[in-house]
Amino acid sequence: MSLQTDKREFGERTADGIGDVFMRGAVGSAQDSLKTRRLTAATALGDWERWRELGQQIRQHTLEHLDYYLEQMADNVERRGGHVFFARTKEEASAYIRDVVQSKNARKVVKSKSMVTEEIEMNHVLMEAGCEVIESDLGEYILQEDDWDPPSHIVAPALHKNREQIRDVFASKLNYDGDETPERLARFARSVLREKFLEAEIGITGCNFAVANLGAINLVTNEGNGDLTAALPKTHIAVMGMERIVPTLEEMEVLDNLLCRSAVGQKLTSYITVMGPRENGESDGPEEFHLVVVDNGRSDILAGEFREALQCIRCGACLNVCPVYRHIGGHAYGSIYPGPIGAVITPLLGGYDDYKELPYASSLCGACTDVCPVKIPLHEQLILHRQNIVSQGRTGAADRIQMKAAGKLLSSPGMFRSTLRLANSMTKLMSKHGRIVRGPAPIEGWIGIRDMPQPVKKRDAFRSWYENRESGIPAAAAPPGAGGRNEGDGRRAAPDLPEAKPGRDVSVEEAASRIGKGGGRS
Amino acid sequence: MNSSFSADENRSKRKVSNRESFLTNVAASLGRPRMTDTVRRPAWKHTVHLDTLADRTPEQLVEVLKEQCLFIHTQVIESTPEILQTTLDDLIAGCGGGPVIRSGDPRFAQYGLAFPGGFVWSEKAGREENVRRAEAANVALVFADYALAESGTVVLESRPDQGRALHFLPAHYIAVIERGRIVPRSTQAMGDLNRRLEAGETLGSCINLISGPSNSADIEMQLVVGVHGPLRATYVLI
Repeated sequence: MSLQTDKREFGERTADGIGDVFMRGAVGSAQDSLKTRRLTAATALGDWERWRELGQQIRQHTLEHLDYYLEQMADNVERRGGHVFFARTKEEASAYIRDVVQSKNARKVVKSKSMVTEEIEMNHVLMEAGCEVIESDLGEYILQEDDWDPPSHIVAPALHKNREQIRDVFASKLNYDGDETPERLARFARSVLREKFLEAEIGITGCNFAVANLGAINLVTNEGNGDLTAALPKTHIAVMGMERIVPTLEEMEVLDNLLCRSAVGQKLTSYITVMGPRENGESDGPEEFHLVVVDNGRSDILAGEFREALQCIRCGACLNVCPVYRHIGGHAYGSIYPGPIGAVITPLLGGYDDYKELPYASSLCGACTDVCPVKIPLHEQLILHRQNIVSQGRTGAADRIQMKAAGKLLSSPGMFRSTLRLANSMTKLMSKHGRIVRGPAPIEGWIGIRDMPQPVKKRDAFRSWYENRESGIPAAAAPPGAGGRNEGDGRRAAPDLPEAKPGRDVSVEEAASRIGKGGGRS
Repeated sequence: MNSSFSADENRSKRKVSNRESFLTNVAASLGRPRMTDTVRRPAWKHTVHLDTLADRTPEQLVEVLKEQCLFIHTQVIESTPEILQTTLDDLIAGCGGGPVIRSGDPRFAQYGLAFPGGFVWSEKAGREENVRRAEAANVALVFADYALAESGTVVLESRPDQGRALHFLPAHYIAVIERGRIVPRSTQAMGDLNRRLEAGETLGSCINLISGPSNSADIEMQLVVGVHGPLRATYVLI
């Protein structure tokens, strides 16, 4: 798998997602459960805003001194007998890993979940070289057995599949003859994978954080597969994005606390492990340890206006609150990194040519920014992407014409006023009961999925109402000695309105008619 | 893409790690030359990690730990050094008996514990034998280096007499926690380990923070306890 998981048009991908009723149900309930768990965990911890600021400060300090910490980490790994390889490109990274595997004459590779190994297309390269590559994370293993179906969530990769589908995959590929209870399916996978762990010659893991002053990597899991992957095979290769590093165990601890709570609402996951090359006298753990540090476009991100995106600790909290992700699902993003963070980093890693639509897959509600444990301004970065896409002239012709027209209209008060005057009659044919229900081709896409109120008649418009109120204040109603018009306004406005209960939803029509009455009566 | 991979085909032994050019490029991306002076960590703006649970007494921390274990599917048994052998024997029987594997931690001898027929992880046994015995074991017995009250975690370092697979291959996992080793949270344990590292001590190649049995929610978000690692976990407090 590569960064790109689906080469079809964005519209086709989203239509697929929206049409998949089971997937949408699964994503919706997973989001509800994960976001509640995150909120509960954050609330129970208390002082969450300070925790976030601390996480942000640690990430920013590390990024600002990234060359220093990477060098310190590499020195320490090598001092302990490990090897560190710095890969500028995905090709360099995968080729190095393949070379290590081949130098051991190894055929059997077991992996634990790692997004960056997907990004560098490592599985593909190793399989071409004749290796068996086994994903050991339960979710990833299910996807692998289903002919490498792409992951749809950073933390729960097989979220889009139900238990019956999983049972069928196991039955057809692995001769599983049990039922579809998750417990049985998991036990079955355990027994198959236990053998794979024991016979593997190479173990490959990702890296949540490298610890610079220790020369070790940190893995955060619940299943324990990462630990077995690193403990049993004689060679361990860890792959990390170059930004995933902390100065010491003390900062690692803070970030792991933020990560576990934000990802799954746990205080700490079952297994948090710090591991490096085997020390003298220890009998298991790798005899050979390789750490591959991957740039693959990250230094360009570091240099530019999106640097804060590199603060990401891959918790997936932004996916769990995103209304767009909820409806289109992970696959529609066409990237191994879906959701809001995916919409920010995928175009940076893969370019606007393939991913210029992703920054628009957002309502800009900002829920992602609010939950991010390291305070990445996600929705602001999506706006920044949109600005770049527009200024590079990458939007479609229809968009450009509409925007040009809107620009003309909004920058000329005269044209704006006359358009407002005509808006009601111009939209008459398109509207029904005060709502615009159909429109010409250029705005069909907008109207098709939204309820848009029809512009009101000129006499009912805010401007007319405001002017009439100004001129029509009955002198008698003015409080004695009232000097300023502001204090008077509030008092007089109230009796005009039919007893509106506070907080009651008011329809556009009702509101419009009230405004009309208020203005007309006075 | 395949063509660029095959261009690398012949360089099977890479001596160059690209380190210098890579790091120089990172520094350039940050708009400055390479950092050569020692970088000091700044004073962090908040101390929330240090403050959380810092005011609890040792007795209160035991309660915090016990309560947290309710949420992580981990049984907590309160025992004493005097009856520890009986407690552990009962627990092993409850797990369905042996085979038992334990670490070579000197505290087993110190508390006068013996498990006839059990296997002890040791440097002498070697990689194959240690792993084979761990895989065949029904129960693993270990002593915690630290216990974290907030998260219900035991912290253990790898050593010649305590391997990594010991914590993951056996079906049942029993960790003995001496009350004096309970600290409020991960902050204190990681702080202590970092101080030891900075003082020049060599830490084990693997530091495990273990909070209950292995689990997964990868199938329809439904929690399954017991995936690749232990199916059940028990802490014994003394």
